[in-house]
Amino acid sequence: MSVVATPGQPGDPAGTGPLHAPVHAAQQGPVPMPRGRRRTELAMLVFAVAVVLFAYASVGLSMTGRIPAGILGYGLAFALLMLLAHLAIRWLAPWADPLMLPLAALLNGLGIVMIYRLQQSGRDGNAGRVISTMSTSSTVLQVIWSTVGVAAFIAVLALVREPRTLQRYTYTLGAVGLVLLAIPALLPSSLSEVNGAKVWISVGGFSVQPGEFAKLALAVFFAGYLVAKRDVLSLAGRRVLGIDLPRARDLGPVLIAWGASLLILVFETDIGTSALFFGMFLVMLYVATQRTSWLLIGGVLFVSGAYVASKLFAHVHERVDIWLHPFAAQNVYHSSYQLVQGLYGMGYGGVLGTGLGNGQPYWTPLVQSDFIFTAFGEELGLTGLMAILLIYGLIAERGLRAAVAVRDPFSKLLAAGLSFVLALQVFVIVGGVTRLIPLTGITTPFLSQGGSSLVASWMLIALLMRISDTARRPAPQPIQEEGMTQVVRGG
Amino acid sequence: MNRALRRISLVVLAMFLLLLLSVNYVQAFEPSSLAVQRGNARVFSQQYQYQRGSILTSNNKTIAESVHVKGIYAYQRSYPDPLVYAPVTGYDSLYSATGIEKTEDKFLSGSDPQLTVHNLIDLVTGKPRRGATVQLTVNSAAQTAAYNALKETGLPSGAVALDPKTGAVLALASYPTFNPNKYATFNSAQLKRADNRYLKDPAQPLLNRAINQTFPPGSTFKVVTSSTAFSTGNYNQQTRVYAPTNLKLPGTTKELINFDNLPCDNGSNPTGNGKVPFIYAFTVSCNTVFGNLGMQLGDNAIRQQAVKFGMNDANLRIPLPVSASSYPPIPGNDPALTAYSAIGQYSDQVTPLQEAMFSAAIANNGTLMTPYMVQKVTAPDLTPLETAQPTPLGQTVSPSVAANVSQMMVDVVKQPYGTAHNTAFLPNIAIAAKTGTAQNGANNTGLDDAVFTCFAPVSNPQIAVGVIVKGGGLGADASAPIAVKIIQAYLASQAK
Repeated sequence: MSVVATPGQPGDPAGTGPLHAPVHAAQQGPVPMPRGRRRTELAMLVFAVAVVLFAYASVGLSMTGRIPAGILGYGLAFALLMLLAHLAIRWLAPWADPLMLPLAALLNGLGIVMIYRLQQSGRDGNAGRVISTMSTSSTVLQVIWSTVGVAAFIAVLALVREPRTLQRYTYTLGAVGLVLLAIPALLPSSLSEVNGAKVWISVGGFSVQPGEFAKLALAVFFAGYLVAKRDVLSLAGRRVLGIDLPRARDLGPVLIAWGASLLILVFETDIGTSALFFGMFLVMLYVATQRTSWLLIGGVLFVSGAYVASKLFAHVHERVDIWLHPFAAQNVYHSSYQLVQGLYGMGYGGVLGTGLGNGQPYWTPLVQSDFIFTAFGEELGLTGLMAILLIYGLIAERGLRAAVAVRDPFSKLLAAGLSFVLALQVFVIVGGVTRLIPLTGITTPFLSQGGSSLVASWMLIALLMRISDTARRPAPQPIQEEGMTQVVRGG
Repeated sequence: MNRALRRISLVVLAMFLLLLLSVNYVQAFEPSSLAVQRGNARVFSQQYQYQRGSILTSNNKTIAESVHVKGIYAYQRSYPDPLVYAPVTGYDSLYSATGIEKTEDKFLSGSDPQLTVHNLIDLVTGKPRRGATVQLTVNSAAQTAAYNALKETGLPSGAVALDPKTGAVLALASYPTFNPNKYATFNSAQLKRADNRYLKDPAQPLLNRAINQTFPPGSTFKVVTSSTAFSTGNYNQQTRVYAPTNLKLPGTTKELINFDNLPCDNGSNPTGNGKVPFIYAFTVSCNTVFGNLGMQLGDNAIRQQAVKFGMNDANLRIPLPVSASSYPPIPGNDPALTAYSAIGQYSDQVTPLQEAMFSAAIANNGTLMTPYMVQKVTAPDLTPLETAQPTPLGQTVSPSVAANVSQMMVDVVKQPYGTAHNTAFLPNIAIAAKTGTAQNGANNTGLDDAVFTCFAPVSNPQIAVGVIVKGGGLGADASAPIAVKIIQAYLASQAK
């Protein structure tokens, strides 16, 4: 490339210009400093906070005819929280992608608004009663969890100053991830099972889903492991039907990951998490080795495993049954009730939705967690859902863009794994509630009620922003002397 | 690795495209089919999210309305005068509806295609959707008088008043009745309790006795028998007819007798074997005369006349469905049974509405107008959607026959010896009537039903009334005063 290209120039709006291009500087006056686009971020953040406040006011106006009294308190708290995150980015990751924080803030805020709205309407729309697993302090709790989430976000940015440093903890984090995953399976059901899924650590009314954090730990582990082994794993073995198959002795890691995901499936009755981990591993393996054969092998393994599981295990079989026959008389008031009520809600909302506070999302069981997407569908309509999907899509694609831009292979893999797992999680839950694929109960990132998912999602965003900050950070400017006109950087 | 990353980006893009397609399918294409699936509580409760139309009487009294309430349902049905109008409005509950609430539901709920454009405009302009207003022909003065009079008897009873010139239902009352407000609750347990209590009540409060219970017409059926006789051309009101004290019936040892076994004697028939004028026999209601007439006219001729008056019709809707009043075929044309049928006994059955229709047809020169209750339907923006057009149900008798029968009915009230003179004669309003005291029960052991049919004022008939009080005894004693109260209340309200 012979054209002078500087990251963050006006002609490069996203600021992700090719960093490996030599930087020609000081030929036409002062050095053009690449911009961090923090002001863009702030402007979009103000917009996101405004949307959230309007949504909150709209709920109050619909349900009681008044702007909710809490708008000043909650509004200020939320705005302050997001401002803190923004200031932390200015300080800790000034070159990071400017889109991520506003997008995450918008989702987080809309989630709080919906939880407030559901708490207000109560079970079956009866304001005097609370929806199952909700309480009269659900909104406050969600705000507190958001605070913890933003704190975790800042902590990750502060502690991980270079993504590569995480590589040192590859195996430690791998072990941590496995332990986190395994704890609920080993604990007695009384401490680990909520609504049929054995994925919790629940002590004294305080519940944590360790799987949400295991996701992050394992992403680091996979990235570290695959960077180390990718040369071996990409060695070609036999060639069948034009595809280079890996050597049989290299199949070990795939089989172990597959086995682990099947164990989750069986012992934690959690198909969603199982699919999530295996999918993340496969995609990272593919990115590391560039071998399509890994995707095929993994795909075949997963589909055959899921098929056998659906034959062997009642809870898996039931998921397939209600996916195929949700409206059957024997299902509609029982096993498929939740799915069907969610669909009714979305259908009731139609293209434009009923407006926040005007629908009846409270008929859908667990609407505040697994099915919160359908509540948005009901009240914001198809229009709102498409906007929310685009927000998720943007986060995932910006994450992948950071992966492309960053030079260090470990960071590349980590960004790819995190971005993909976020996209996959949205795919699994949204595909599940819209009956695109069999329903599996996992949280909707940022929107669902619950602390673990929210905190883990903020940490995920922090990691992605850290990687994009590294990718977009200009090389240290050499001391400029008169006459020295060119700096040639390696890349 | 970047090539693989770009491919993964495309995979992620494809995943989100699939999700977009999926939500588009669910929310843009599927809603209509989802709306009709089992257990869709949202669509079900949607009807309570906007204001259902009101039901008004002809003089603009609101008898059913939707009022704004707190809770998941925004509007709740309320019936301001529940007991009086229950047989008219019916109820609209979470699970079912009756009465006008059911028959006019498409207007009241706003789902009628004629309202689609209004609803769309309301949606765009942000006005809340509302149902159409249904105005009935029922007059609140007549209806209140009817209900209160029935209630005073304390007996199961029904009354209907018609405008003989149009067929408009002026009153439609039933006793004992129910409180439709009990059905307007959103508490399904309460609703079920209330419904069960009414269903198990032996008094059958949910039964609309005005149009859905039939009783033997007794002597009021002599209006039909007389009409049949006059229509043959062989009789008029002065024709002298055979009037035995005891009428021997062929093929049986039983004899038909008059009320209290009295002779049919106007002073010229002391032996009880001679003849009396037709009008006299009608005025004092001689069973033997009409039993004998029935045998001479024959079962078929009487039935054809009864059908012209609206009997044997199971399809009448006003728009409430009306139970058929029946004049069934006589097995083997048995003359004895024909004699009983001709005086409104044996298997004859009529509703109070049918009683009102007898008088209405006679009052309107023989033309029976189709009874109807809905005067007009008005959209929320006050555009009229439907206005009732009175239509004849049929010509029951020629105007001259009607005039003959009418004069006889006048005598029933006017003549001091007429059966209704003591209870229906008013100095200021000329009423024409026929009384009936119907025996029933096994071997006629049950209490007599009191039946009454009439119209007024004679010179310019404005109201025709049919009243039946089960177990009330003499029609003249139990039912006539009820009809009189309805007539007085209605004419007074019209005079204002």
